[in-house]
Parts: sequence; structure tokens; C-alpha cells
Amino acid sequence: MATRNATWRVWAVIGGIAIGVIVIIARLVQLQIIDHEEYRQQATLNHLRQLPLYDQRAAILDRNGYPLAASEYTFDVYVEIDAWEDPIAAEQAAREIAKITSTYWGSLVNVVSETDVFEVPVVRGLDYEQSEAVKALNQDGVRLIRTSHRVYPEGNLATQLIGITGTDNIGLTGLEDDYNSILGGVEGSITAEVDALGNPYALGQQSTIPAQPGSNIVLTIDRYIQRLAEQQLDKAIKDHDATGGTIIVVQPKTGEILAMVSRPAADLARPDLSDESKLALLRNRAITDSYEPGSTFKLVTMAAALDAGEVYPDMWWDDLGVVHIDGWAIRNWDLSAHGSQTVTQILAKSLNTGAAWLSSLLGPERFYEYVHAFGFGEQSGISLSGESPGLVRTPENDPGWRLVDTATNSFGQGLSATPLQMVMAVAAIANDGLFMQPRIVREIAGATNIEFEPEPAGRPISVETARTLREMMGVVVNGIPEYLLDVQGYEVGGKTGTANIADGNGSYKDNAYISSFVGVAPLDDPELAIIVKIDEPQDVPWGTVVAAPAFGEIVQESLAYLKIPPGPEALVSAAE
Amino acid sequence: MATAPKAKAESQIQGLLRPENLPVVLTIAAMVVGIAALLPLLQSSETTSTAGNILQLENEKAGWQTQLQELELTVAGMGSLDHIERESRRRFKMTTPEEVVYILVDSPPPQARRIPSRYFAQDETAETGTGSSIWEDLVGWLPFPWD
Repeated sequence: MATRNATWRVWAVIGGIAIGVIVIIARLVQLQIIDHEEYRQQATLNHLRQLPLYDQRAAILDRNGYPLAASEYTFDVYVEIDAWEDPIAAEQAAREIAKITSTYWGSLVNVVSETDVFEVPVVRGLDYEQSEAVKALNQDGVRLIRTSHRVYPEGNLATQLIGITGTDNIGLTGLEDDYNSILGGVEGSITAEVDALGNPYALGQQSTIPAQPGSNIVLTIDRYIQRLAEQQLDKAIKDHDATGGTIIVVQPKTGEILAMVSRPAADLARPDLSDESKLALLRNRAITDSYEPGSTFKLVTMAAALDAGEVYPDMWWDDLGVVHIDGWAIRNWDLSAHGSQTVTQILAKSLNTGAAWLSSLLGPERFYEYVHAFGFGEQSGISLSGESPGLVRTPENDPGWRLVDTATNSFGQGLSATPLQMVMAVAAIANDGLFMQPRIVREIAGATNIEFEPEPAGRPISVETARTLREMMGVVVNGIPEYLLDVQGYEVGGKTGTANIADGNGSYKDNAYISSFVGVAPLDDPELAIIVKIDEPQDVPWGTVVAAPAFGEIVQESLAYLKIPPGPEALVSAAE
Repeated sequence: MATAPKAKAESQIQGLLRPENLPVVLTIAAMVVGIAALLPLLQSSETTSTAGNILQLENEKAGWQTQLQELELTVAGMGSLDHIERESRRRFKMTTPEEVVYILVDSPPPQARRIPSRYFAQDETAETGTGSSIWEDLVGWLPFPWD
């Protein structure tokens, strides 16, 4: 009996041990086989630390290689707060650093005393010489971290176009934002084996994936013409006490933007982002803001009527001073009636009644076909974000559309366009009717190399129509007094515009206008198409007075700069 | 023909292994083993000092690159249109022309400024292979017949 009990107890112990072993084995199987991957990842996370690596942000260059925005290495001084625990030692160390960095030592000490993190930057943005001087101090708990920041060798040139970056060197607005991945390159990483406190082992495993440098962006912008446009815009705004404005200069044969400027604008080096009104200064109004183009749009109406074969330059018509459509009366800007006029004089005298007559000859369907063919009502496709498509109301897209809208649209009211759309339409006229895709980036150069070629985007009108229209634009300019527009040595063409400003409630602001001028130069073989748009001038509203002089100045200097010879009568022989 | 030298070599080895020569042989063997044991240490220290030199040179290179960039940006700033105009007016007393005269000259215009080479992709085909180890060097010194 006793032996049987003993045997039972032995088997019970053996059975208990066996069960325990089985449980342990099962747990080991779970840990090492079933959940192996999960625990392996946890272990990796525990003893490996990964830090991101960034290369320097690439540059934005003008078409000739001059940097408009570039990066520069700078150094930040970091202090371990434990090292500056003793006030006397901290003051002495801070005084030495402050002497090199031209800062106040007290503020350095305050930065350290007011934080509870392990290490804090006390001075940022030192140049190499200063960093070497701080390094030579050999202070305990003080180290230098190399960083990079944006510099603008040309100052505030093309502010809204270039845009700004944040302190982490990420693009926030403009091209810096739109081309952030190209300029910023590819992030790398450094992976190191660390101990329980996160300190790397001296001989531990370490691997580095180097950051890939960004590629530089070569713009179509020419810094000389850009600066010229900015100076002329500033002058026009100042002379006429205007609220802002835009100038765009385009090469019609390629669609390349040589200058694009809007005012008001922000300071690139010290942008103020404190409120919405300051943020608005970073908006590229040349593409984001649409306006009613006014009489400059008569060029589009005239192009359509000529191309459709409805009229020719010397064709006569009778201006009665008013056109009645659907019970609405369309009148000229000066409320006058001019009697018998040629079609050319519709442009030369900027007759609203004439434009309305042209649109009635075309009819709404053909009129809007031409309007769309010139790129209105849709984004131009320029590689910039935030572009407005403008607004063209047609019978198809707006149930509230009425026949009188065609008439008002014909002289640029009741529809909206961006300055870029307007100048590209004129560029198509300058380019013998061939509409080119507008371009702001010419080339991406660096780790990635892409060269962009000029790209035709349609032909709204024939070569003959474009040439005829250019001659008519020349007649318009000939009617402008020389003291307002006189380009010596070159023949130019253009059209003025004075437009009401919509108030957003279906009406127009009182006594507020947009004065503009669009033109081409030289007239026989245009190399430039330019729009000058001035917002709400306070003295006079007329585009002839407010905008045309800036056009003349830009053309005069730009053509000489581009080495485009003037007409033979303006040349002086080198042999003389 | 080949058996004579072989027999001679065997008799020489047997001579070395005689009891009276054994201490010398063992001492020499111990020294060879000791020196061989030091070789990894030698290689390790050489590697460490090379790594230190590389780090120092990399720091120097980074310093030069930083200074070069600073100088390039200084040049860019001095070549900016604002600076050129300011200096033209201040130093050379230049003013805006009142009259523009166009002269046609019979020579081509100057070449457009080229984009600085640093703005283009750099050639990344530099040698990245590892050097030979000290063991390989040592083996290379020995007069093996297959050399």
C-alpha cells in the first residue's frame, strides 16, 4: 500500500514537472517563433536609435545662373544646462561667447536658466569665423551644431515668386513650397546602437544612409528685367498713390516669364507671419488674384472678330454712342458718340459700343470659343500653386447668363482673369497667333537634371490675324501722347485699360479702378509682351496715364539689355 | 634528383629538434607566436589612427567648404544689381543717362554667364574600395614561390 502511494506521489511530481516544462516550452515557442518578429522589432527599437540627416537645400537661380535664393552653413551654440549651474562660471562663459557673437551675455544666461531640457541653443546663425572662435574657447558643456539657412543675394527680388522656408528649411510658400522635394533632396539617416540610457556604444553597430542633395532650380526669370519691373511698379504705385499692382514680362516665342512682380510684398529675409494680412503679402497676386481686365480685353474681342472674318481694319461702322441689348444700354467710357469710325478706331478710341458690336457679329458661341482658346476661364498650367482660373460666365456654365453679358464681356467687364492670363493672350498675338505654355522653371540642375522646352498650347488665331492686330495695336500707341509713352528707337503696340472693381456683391466699388496696359515690343517681331496693372490709383484712373509710362520704361531698357537692335533710323554707325 | 635536397632538409629539421636545441627552438616559436598575436593589435591601432585622420580631414574639408560657400555668397552679394548700382553711383559717380544712343558694332556679344559648376551634379565615381589588410600586406612581403 505504502509502495503504491509512493509511486503515485513520484508520478504526480513527474507529471507536475512535465506540465511545467510543457508550459515553459509553449511560452518559448510563442516568444521565439510565433511572436518572433514583434519582439525582434521591439529589441531593435530598444538598442538602435535612428536620426534623420539632411543635406543643404539647393539654390533657386535666375536664367543666367545668378542665385536668387541660396543656402549657407551657419552654426548654433548649444549649452548643457548642468554646465552653467554655477552663476559665476555661467556669467564668465556667457561673457566670452557674447563678446564673439556680439550679443548680450545676460540673455544667454537667461535662456539657459529658464529651461529644463538637457541642452539649449543660446545663439544661432554664427558664421564660420565666429564658430571657430567659440570652439577655441573650449568651454565645458558648450558645443556647436552646424545648420543651414537661406540667404538672398539679390535681396527682396521676386519675393512672392520665390517664397519662404521655415526654420526647419522646409518650403512654406512660392517656389520654395512648390518645388520643396526637389530643392530639399532626400532625407538620409544615421542608425547607431545605444545603451539603456540612449548613449551610443563606442564600438557599437552604426550605419549611415547619406542624405541626397537637392537639385537647383533655374528659373526663366531674368534678374535685370525683374528688378527693372519691380522698380517701375514701385514708382507707378508711389506716383499715383495706388494700393498695389502687378507687372509680368513674357517672351512670346517661348512662353518664358522674364519678370513677375506684385505689390504689396513681404520681406523675404524677415517675413512677418503674425496675422492674415501679413500672410497675404506672400501671395503671388499675378496668378492668384483675378480682376476684370477692362478695355485691354478688347484685343481678344477684336482678334476673334478679325479671325472669324467678320471685320477688317478699315471697315466702317457707325458709333451712335449707345447699344441697346435686352433692355440694357451699353455706352462708351466718356458717354460720347463718334459717328462713322473704322474698326481700328474701336481699339484706338477704346469704344465700348464698338466692342459690343463686334461681339454681336460673332454671337455668344463663337465669342466664348475664342475667349477660351486664348486661355481664359481655366488655369494656365504654369507650375505654380494657387493659380486662379478666373471666371468666364457662358450660357453653358451659368443659368443666370444673359445676352448682355456677351456685350459687357467684350470690353472686359463681367468676367475676370489673372494678369498672367491676360499677358499670355497678348503674347499669343505677339507670337503670330501661337499660344505658348507659360513657364517659370527653365531647368532643374543637380542630382536630377531636367531641361524644359518651350511648348505650344494652341493656336487661337491665324498668323494673318495676329499681324493685322499688332498693326492695330501700333495705331493705339501712336495715339498716346509722347510724354506718357515714348520708346526711342523701337515701334511698340499695346492697349490701355481702365476697369471697375467688383465689390463682391454684384456691383462695383465707387471711385475705385484698375488701370492697366498690355503691350508688345518691337512691333514687327515682338520679343516682349508686358502687362502693367495698377490697383486703385488715387489721382487719375486712366491706364494711359498710370500704367503706360511704366510699360515704356521697361521696354526701353529691356530691349537694349537683350541686345535687340532698334530700327535703322535710331542707329549710330560705329565707324562715325 | 629531387630526393637529395629533401633528405638534407629532413636531417636539418631533425638536428634542430635535438634535446640541446629544443629550448632555442621553443623560444623562437614563442616569439613568432607573440609577434603574430600583436599583429591584430597593430592593425587595429593603424585603423583607429587612420579613422581619426580621416575624421580630422573631413572636419577640415567641411570647414573649407563652409568658408568657400561664405565667399561665394559674398561674391554673389557683391554681384547683385543693387550693390553694383550703389557702387557705380558712389565710387564712379555714374548717373542715369539722359539720352540713349544705339551703336551697332561688328562683333558678337559676350557669352552669357555660365551657371557655376557647383550648381550641377557632381561626379560621384570616386574610388570607394577598401584597402588591403595588414595580413594581406604581410603575406605580400613573404617570398612565396607563387608570387
